[in-house]
Amino acid sequence: MNLVVCIKQVPAVAELEWDQRTGGLKRDLAQGMMNPACRNALEAALQLKADHGGAITVISMGPPQAEEILREALALGADWAVLLSDPTMAGADTLATSYTLAKAIKLVRRDFDLVLCGCYSSDSETAQVGPQLAEELMVAGVAYVETIEVLAPKIKGGRPTIRLSRQTDNFLETLELEPPGVLTVASSGFAPRHVDLSGIQPAFSSRDLIHLDAKKLGANPKLIGQNGSATRILKVYPSVIDKEGVVLKGAVKASVQDLFQLFGARLNGFVGQGYSPDD
Amino acid sequence: MEMEFNACTKHKVVRNVVRDFAEAELRPIASDIDRAAHFPWEAIRKMGELSYFGLQAPAEYGGAGLDTISYCIVIEELSRVCAAVGLCVTVHNSVALYPILAFGTKEQKDRFLPDLCSGKRIGAFCLTEANAGSDAGGVETTAVKVKDGFLLNGTKIFVTNGGACGLALIFAVTDPASRSRGASVFIIESEREGFTVGEFEDLCGVRANPVCSLFIEDCLVPRENLLGQLGQGIRIGLTALDTGRMGIAAQALGLAQGAFEASVKYSRERQQFGRPISNFQTIQNYLADMETEIDAARLLLYRAAALKDAGVRFTAEAAKAKLFCAVLANKVTSLAVQIHGGYGYAKEYEVERYFRDAKVTEIYEGTNEVQRLVIARDILSRPV
Repeated sequence: MNLVVCIKQVPAVAELEWDQRTGGLKRDLAQGMMNPACRNALEAALQLKADHGGAITVISMGPPQAEEILREALALGADWAVLLSDPTMAGADTLATSYTLAKAIKLVRRDFDLVLCGCYSSDSETAQVGPQLAEELMVAGVAYVETIEVLAPKIKGGRPTIRLSRQTDNFLETLELEPPGVLTVASSGFAPRHVDLSGIQPAFSSRDLIHLDAKKLGANPKLIGQNGSATRILKVYPSVIDKEGVVLKGAVKASVQDLFQLFGARLNGFVGQGYSPDD
Repeated sequence: MEMEFNACTKHKVVRNVVRDFAEAELRPIASDIDRAAHFPWEAIRKMGELSYFGLQAPAEYGGAGLDTISYCIVIEELSRVCAAVGLCVTVHNSVALYPILAFGTKEQKDRFLPDLCSGKRIGAFCLTEANAGSDAGGVETTAVKVKDGFLLNGTKIFVTNGGACGLALIFAVTDPASRSRGASVFIIESEREGFTVGEFEDLCGVRANPVCSLFIEDCLVPRENLLGQLGQGIRIGLTALDTGRMGIAAQALGLAQGAFEASVKYSRERQQFGRPISNFQTIQNYLADMETEIDAARLLLYRAAALKDAGVRFTAEAAKAKLFCAVLANKVTSLAVQIHGGYGYAKEYEVERYFRDAKVTEIYEGTNEVQRLVIARDILSRPV
């Protein structure tokens, strides 16, 4: 199976500060880590590779520091690592990011079977890159995948059919997909494995990172980075909880009477038609 | 040897990976295993599968083949969360596995290294006895040549990993007449007849490590289990300790780092006199000193590690690192308890464990006093 996993390096902090002036996250000072959901996506790919053979290419768009997570992915068992890095790629929203990733995938792994992504990133949490990537690549996309099964091809000699279950609200939906496709992996599936330390040295000595800048990618400068972003963060502010609660004190019956006095109009429809506190 | 002051990508990756593991697998159990003095077999088993027990051994034996700075980072990151486990890993790697790698025959390496690298056998190095601590010359365990090999008799105490070890390197006297060339090292598998694990020590700190006595009674060891040459014991011991000292320095560094981070976090949260205590200059001074000295300790340690990898003599540098890091760990952990105030003295918070764990780093694998001897000897041996 020809698998591609898109991974993102996010700040390794519990809460990241927003720069209120620019509307961006204050990423500079924070240590980086692989986005947790990306780990699940990578785990899914590793399991698919173990069960069905093939190769995994990991791709990340980011500053040079993103090399850290690519090497970690190699240590875990990925075969190839691609770093998309260029100052002009900075400030990209999810649209520009998906364009850039798609460009790389078309260049490096045109005949992929599946592209796997984490369902969302821990810093931006938009969950948009996966679906936008499917659009850019003009392939089927399924989000919040929990299980992946590889079935026999429908046509002899063709690609295997992929059966998926994915979360929707409170139930699991089962779908079948004919590759190629983009999947985003839910955090509930594919518990990520720990890195085996014996994978680290080979991740540095036996593989070169494929480094693609905007020029090598053949990317349209108007469609990458800040230029290619269709959305702009106008304002960032912490949410303030300013509701005042009402505390009803006293005996139960008196409290219930107060409750109906204050909120009777809103309660009737829920508690029951024509309910009265004397009942 | 060029000096690099900023961590290269590989070292950052090693640090991130081990930190993730330690936070996920060791943090939840560290307090409990300390309280109960329980060796965390399940976590150790997982670590065996992830190559923690063959950190610098070659891949052909199942090792991770990492450089010495990476090795120090692994021990530091483990100890930052659980010093007892960090201790287990460093002793196994430095003073049990490494001597076999450095002095073993091909047959011995083939026979012993795979099980050590996989963690199937945890290693221990047995030198200390009731009458032989800093004075290694006081060792009384004997190995007498007999028809089928050597017959060993003696009692080893304070054996780190002893209660869990599958393989022990025993330092024994083979030529009582000769003081310096009279000792040799023997490899004993724990299932061998005449090898018994004694009671676990009830220790102040690193309580989750199964430190114990080992009783060796008429233990017959084949000639193939002699490590290196007869009479090479001191040399093997000193070589093992050179590397071991860096591992202990890394353990102490991890303790200091963990206690320091807890102090920063606590000082931000704890409010007294209407503001976080991190607003007060005294606390800020403490934090500034802690971080500065931790930085210095780390560079001192990495310098020693880099020298080892460059194939250059590093004995004095390792001793300096061990001395400095051990003293620092005690200073920082004590200060950490102080910053936490009354809460720091309670087991509900982790810093009191760090405080207890730190003390032994000034004692084992060469006391502070012994390290100073080594450093002074180096100073005074230089040409005038």
